[in-house]
Amino acid sequence: MEKRKKLIAFFKELGFEFNISRFDDRLIAQKLVCLLELKGIDLGYSCSLYVRGPYSPDLTKDLYAHTREFENLETGTRLTTAEKEAAGELGRIFGLKPILLEVGATYGYYAIRQDCDPLEALRHVKRLKPFYSEAQIAIGISKAKEFLYKPTRKDLEDLKKETSIWQRASLKTLEH
Amino acid sequence: MQSDVLSILNESEGLDKKVFSLVRLKLLASLAALGPDGATYRELKAALDINDGVLFANLNVLKDMGYLTSEKITSEGKELELYIITSEGQGGWERTRTWLCRFLHCGA
Repeated sequence: MEKRKKLIAFFKELGFEFNISRFDDRLIAQKLVCLLELKGIDLGYSCSLYVRGPYSPDLTKDLYAHTREFENLETGTRLTTAEKEAAGELGRIFGLKPILLEVGATYGYYAIRQDCDPLEALRHVKRLKPFYSEAQIAIGISKAKEFLYKPTRKDLEDLKKETSIWQRASLKTLEH
Repeated sequence: MQSDVLSILNESEGLDKKVFSLVRLKLLASLAALGPDGATYRELKAALDINDGVLFANLNVLKDMGYLTSEKITSEGKELELYIITSEGQGGWERTRTWLCRFLHCGA
């Protein structure tokens, strides 16, 4: 089975109506692939850093060589439950928004593939995407973290400790 | 060995000398990898860290050579200039890259 068929199944699951003539659609396709690969889903399109951030030239070749299949969502591949979950999360968190996907994929690439600490990854995103506002970058990064990182038991305990003061305070307020 | 070096040097006569500027090589290498997808002006400027005057002038030289085309596109409501390498540009870049590899003995 060709690798593009699995990607088309992801497009279908995400409700992504790809149109090759739209720049934003080509951008969305690239960043979806990079984020899914970073999440550990093997689509067979490896991403590396180019002037457009994390990018897969192999995907570009397939998008142009098999445009009709991508635009008509022609696939016989069924996603596994885990893949469907990943697609659902990706759609819920990023909502097929080009800027957020671009910032998120770029941050994720530096943080995961290049093993940069969060501040260093942020610096790289700002250098590569200076045309996006601070707010767009902040939202994109927070979405990348939400999608790519599963909180550990310790993270959840720390979070509970951190927020318990406010929770108790709000409960007290309700009592009055 | 010397005659090999000489023949490699003589082969450079078949190359387009206008490509041999660091900025143009960077632009061609960047855009060749992206194929028909291209890159916007702002992406090239940020990633390659080239100032507006130099970038604009060199993009225009490559366009005049027939190596690049440009078109207006809209992304998230913003109008941007997209630069795409032509098949002539791909060919020119491949010839240059192959020659550079031979010149530097990197086994192309």
